[in-house]
Amino acid sequence: MRALNRHIRTFCAVLLCAAAPVGCMKWDYGTTEELQAPTSGLFITNEGNFQYGNATLSFYDPATREVQNEVFRRANGFRLGDVAQSMVIRNGIGWVVVNNSHVIFAIDVDTFQEVGRITNLTSPRYIHFLSDEKAYVTQLWDNRIFIVNPKRYEITGYIECPGMTMESGSTEQMVQCGKYVYVNCWSYQNRLLKIDTETDRVVGELEVGIQPTSLVLDRNGRIWTITDGGYEGSPYGYEAPALCCIDPDTFSVVRRFTFSLGDAPSEVQINGAGDRLYWINRDIWSMPVDDERLPVRPFVAYRDTKYYGLTVDPVSGEVYVADAIDYQQQGIVYRYSTDGELIDQFYVGIIPGAFCWK
Amino acid sequence: MNRPLRFAVRCRLLSLLAATAFALSPAGAFVHAETPDDGSTARTIAIREVPVWGQRPMKSIGVDRTRFDSVVLKQNIALSVADVLTFNSSLFVKQYGRATLSTVSFRGTGPSHTQVSWNGMRINNPMLGMTDFSMIPAYFVDDASLLHGSSSVNETGGGLGGLVRLSTRPAAADGFGLQYVQGVGMFRTFDEFLRLTWGNEHWQVSTRAVLQSSENDFKYRNRDKKENIYDDEMNIIGSYYPVERNRSGAFRDLHVLQEVYYNTGRGDRFGANVWYVNSDRELPMLTTDYADDTQMENRQREHTLRSVLSWDHLRSDWKLGARAGYIHTWMAYDYRRDPGNGIMKAMTRSRSRIDTFYGQVEGEYSLGRRWLFTASAAAYQHLVTSADKNIILQEGDKAVVGYDQGRIELSAAASVKWRPVERMGLSAVLRGEMYGSDWAPIPALFADYLLSERGQVVVRASVSRNYRFPTLNDLYFLPGGNPDLRSEHGLAYEAGLSFAVGREGGYSLSGSASWYDQHIDDWILWLPTTKGFFSPMNVKKVHAYGVETQANLDVALSREWCLGLNGTFSWSPSINVGEKMSPADQSVGKQLPYEPVWSATASGRLSWRTWELLYQWCYYSQRYTMSSNDITLTGYLPPYFMNNVSLEKRFGLKWCDLSLKAAVNNLFDEEYLSVLSRPMPGINAEFFLSITPKWGAGRR
Repeated sequence: MRALNRHIRTFCAVLLCAAAPVGCMKWDYGTTEELQAPTSGLFITNEGNFQYGNATLSFYDPATREVQNEVFRRANGFRLGDVAQSMVIRNGIGWVVVNNSHVIFAIDVDTFQEVGRITNLTSPRYIHFLSDEKAYVTQLWDNRIFIVNPKRYEITGYIECPGMTMESGSTEQMVQCGKYVYVNCWSYQNRLLKIDTETDRVVGELEVGIQPTSLVLDRNGRIWTITDGGYEGSPYGYEAPALCCIDPDTFSVVRRFTFSLGDAPSEVQINGAGDRLYWINRDIWSMPVDDERLPVRPFVAYRDTKYYGLTVDPVSGEVYVADAIDYQQQGIVYRYSTDGELIDQFYVGIIPGAFCWK
Repeated sequence: MNRPLRFAVRCRLLSLLAATAFALSPAGAFVHAETPDDGSTARTIAIREVPVWGQRPMKSIGVDRTRFDSVVLKQNIALSVADVLTFNSSLFVKQYGRATLSTVSFRGTGPSHTQVSWNGMRINNPMLGMTDFSMIPAYFVDDASLLHGSSSVNETGGGLGGLVRLSTRPAAADGFGLQYVQGVGMFRTFDEFLRLTWGNEHWQVSTRAVLQSSENDFKYRNRDKKENIYDDEMNIIGSYYPVERNRSGAFRDLHVLQEVYYNTGRGDRFGANVWYVNSDRELPMLTTDYADDTQMENRQREHTLRSVLSWDHLRSDWKLGARAGYIHTWMAYDYRRDPGNGIMKAMTRSRSRIDTFYGQVEGEYSLGRRWLFTASAAAYQHLVTSADKNIILQEGDKAVVGYDQGRIELSAAASVKWRPVERMGLSAVLRGEMYGSDWAPIPALFADYLLSERGQVVVRASVSRNYRFPTLNDLYFLPGGNPDLRSEHGLAYEAGLSFAVGREGGYSLSGSASWYDQHIDDWILWLPTTKGFFSPMNVKKVHAYGVETQANLDVALSREWCLGLNGTFSWSPSINVGEKMSPADQSVGKQLPYEPVWSATASGRLSWRTWELLYQWCYYSQRYTMSSNDITLTGYLPPYFMNNVSLEKRFGLKWCDLSLKAAVNNLFDEEYLSVLSRPMPGINAEFFLSITPKWGAGRR
């Protein structure tokens, strides 16, 4: 028995020496901060890495040039989720669409604290408000646009989209002209859809080119979209991308500017006055909406950057460009004057993809 | 001659040494090793052996090898090879959850820099380059070795990190044998293991089957979410971190391994190994997922058949071998949801099929005791069909996005091993690899020197240049495949020291330490594009260096007590030393994400008569999730320690041997993550009952 005790003691002592540090991981769980945002500024949604749940939300104050990162996590004590796709603000509430978390968070835009959430979405991309009690949410991998009641955080209906199955479904950004909402269909698609908001039905389709990526409305009431042309080897096709101007009344392409085959334009944006377009095509480009030809010189030249997101200050006209760098570190946002002069730059989160002006 | 010394201390010694010696000695190549891995109840206790050589084997000159004996491989029958490596090696095992993708990397390299062979045939997935170690049950492996860094060049190319070599052995059965093990664990886990063996002087036949299933719905406090409490006006009046179950984590894996060996007794052995896998696994939801798991399905299925035919022909001073093999893999990934009518509809439906044909010949020739010449040539023909997405074309027709490609991969090597004096060994290996129309020379030089016979103190050094060719997905995946990719390549230096001492009847102690320094250029990373998909590019240059150490101690404390201790420790910086990708790039000079700088393992085994207590511990230092090494609230994985313990009692009955075992994993209920947003289980337990009937002569 004595030998037994001695051996057990020996064993335990050796193990304790070897495995002494058995303590727990040091997690920073549950801490929250009382944050207060200025009255105006810029939200940046940082996608994070797909399947890693490290999306974040940043807020930049152009007046003080201060940036606050991870404001959602810091204000709420939990993560924003997986792939923050987009954000819009309505009546002091910010709606952050988190694609692969299948959720839209509603936050107070002053405190960043959550006030509600809409769940059980398929793969939400963008939200567009029709009223306080009705909004559309576009989806990837679903052939339906979801109708939600933001007040009750409920899904109230669906809009069936023609020409797509669940697997090939893709609806993206939305703009509204009168009672019609226009949607670009992106992944393995080539159309815009026209939706009657009174009947919640698709009433028109317009082919614009392979994979229209984004959508804006100019001062003339015209819709602009930019296609990426697909990719080489795609069974869906591969073509030169184009910038298209669409008359919403006739629902037809009235002007078309074609890029070179192999270009990858994206993120068409418009300034606050609605008279100047911006987009990414390796460089940053700018063009008045009334011009008849594409510019020959970029607004901001490429400089080993991975331009990923773009926005224009609706008041000052300054241009903000997000650089994802290597997609595995905090991206950087460059702020340019209307003349293309660099004013400021600041690091945000991983893969800054979309912006929202407060 | 090879002269293994055995510490016969009433502890039944495992045959590591003997097996090694005979495998390296032509004369003994077909002698079956004793493998007391059947839960026998003999009142003897196994301790690890120390390789003490009269003459060190020529094939090991300068080689850095970690070998796992059956004690380690079978210490918990339900473990996968990923689990075994986690607790017993310096490798980094990245687990995406329980019974979920587990990848292994050496020395700060990536998972696709780890080559894996099974009975001589490389089994890395040719589409992905990596191997899922959670799909390899340790029960199916009789012999596992790690060939670190340059040492892998002796066996294959492309192992910038190293090679994991897995193999089976003849059952050493005389007559009919049977072993059945039933495991029942938490989370509705059921593990069943069956092995049937039959053998005589010439034939050895073995059938092994493993059926593992679990709901895998462990509970955990989800701190990545909060559950809200609303009033009637939908105002949030409270919130809390919910206790959730691991959602969508169920799995059912069936493995069957059939082996037949025929030994002529005159220097020829024929073998056939067939391994069938049928896996059906849900993919667990992220901690940040708000979807309703009853309306979503995320499932991966796999059918794989691996088969190898082998022939080994042996003479006193030369040896010839040939192998032929075939691998068929069918994989399905389905991401579906219920749109509201109760019928699941596909959101993603991808299918892939891989057929690999394999052939290899190898030979060795010993010229006296001073020279050994080896040569080998292997060929792999991969045929891959990948259907990733169903789409509707612009014209309205249906089409599939995917690729259909084949590639032949040739690898040939010749080596000269020379021992000019008894204490010194030199080895040169020249390997050539050809993938499709691209080829690369892979040279390696090795040297070792016996500093002290008394402590078997050996110093060794090696240098090699290695290449890893892009995978088929890297080249052809739609969308994003990049046919212009270059091979990753690196220059590696290493030096090490090992020793082994022991006292007959008392103890055995062995250890080793290695320093390595490796540069890898053109590191391939998949990066997003502005068109919404990922594409691989040669972007990084990495400097990986560090130190690996390991030690083993076995002590016969008394006639009935045995203590075994094993530990590893590694320091493995893996630094991005490439050019900045943009002026704002903060990743240069920083540790690669998800690679720990420090890691360690320790295990202790205490045996008394028919009782055995096993304690396992492992540690990984913090891992960055950003290439810039920024530590943010959402971008950092703290270090963690993991502790497992098991207790086993064997019973020798008249008609059978019985064994009861209880295993507790994550003993201290640690909240930990291996990968961001992938939940891991807290403390959990499993119980095993093993029955080994005694047949005929075996019955006492």
